[in-house]
Amino acid sequence: MTTTTDLTGWTGLQFFGRTTASVSHELKNALAIIKENAGLLNDYLLMAEKGTPLKPERLKIVADRIDQQTRRADTLIKHLNRFGHSIDEPLTTVDLNEIVSLLAALTQREVSMKQATLQLAMGESPMTVKTAPFWLLTFLGHCMTFSLKVLGPEKVLHLQAEKVEDGTRILFSPLSGLQGAGQEDFPGEAEMALLKSLDAACHIDPDAGTLLVNLTNR
Amino acid sequence: MAEKILLVDDETDFLEVMSERMSARGMEVTTAESALDALEQVEKGGFDAIVLDLMMPGMDGLETLKAIKRKRPELQVILLSGHATLEKGIEAMKLGAMDFVEKPADIDALTEKIHKARAEKMVLVEKQMETKLKNIINARGW
Repeated sequence: MTTTTDLTGWTGLQFFGRTTASVSHELKNALAIIKENAGLLNDYLLMAEKGTPLKPERLKIVADRIDQQTRRADTLIKHLNRFGHSIDEPLTTVDLNEIVSLLAALTQREVSMKQATLQLAMGESPMTVKTAPFWLLTFLGHCMTFSLKVLGPEKVLHLQAEKVEDGTRILFSPLSGLQGAGQEDFPGEAEMALLKSLDAACHIDPDAGTLLVNLTNR
Repeated sequence: MAEKILLVDDETDFLEVMSERMSARGMEVTTAESALDALEQVEKGGFDAIVLDLMMPGMDGLETLKAIKRKRPELQVILLSGHATLEKGIEAMKLGAMDFVEKPADIDALTEKIHKARAEKMVLVEKQMETKLKNIINARGW
């Protein structure tokens, strides 16, 4: 039988693997574009050697694409690096806005694969909370996957971090699909174990179409 | 005659640069940014090969491959992927893909595969024509 600790560890490792695979896929896409643009420059040079004059406006387009894709790759690596460092401290004080924006960045591909759009609403900054950042990201990652499953037909997911009386909370809405089938599998055993270790609570309201994650002040 | 290629990828920059490079190599390139666009183009017909991204929003590459093969079994599909796992490659080949190439792809290797795809498509089309002719001859008792 799997113990709660094992289940949490496995869930975290799985999320880590899924996230790095997704970000590295994006990175490969950026590298492919950079490589093809470098190849295109070579094509232009070969054509120039055969007498076709180089067109500065074409070179500018290639340079801009390389610049844009290098920035994209750099941003992806920054996010991956921040995610990697989220496991450094078992318990630390973080800005919840930063956690939520990192979650949005890490799950961007998952969101676009579902042809959805993510809208971020940040609360007052910094919104400090003492938590286990990696495990919080893992839990929120599961919330994201679930939310995308029960997203309404407009396919816009609103993600918000806000301060409440006894702590902070993260809101996923509008989840109009909560009215239908599928909500019974969330939070499952793995998510319950994560919630317990985070000392957090999760509330799903099918009528309001919301998923709320409450983090109490430690 | 130029090879007619349908290039399918949700990355616009990738489509632009690849179609320019492929056109410079004598190919006639049409692009599609989604599986649905690609299927519409396939319906119009006339392609020698399709270069298809495996991971796309909405309908993914394997689903698109199945749909293409249902519409036009003779079409040769080369799948492109940022993370070419062996499992996906095997699955793609089982579904009828001609080849599976990992991104970033080598343009010369890809061009070679496209030449091969066109040759294979021509063989298949000839076989289809032969079967059709035989059926007509048999049906009319000639």
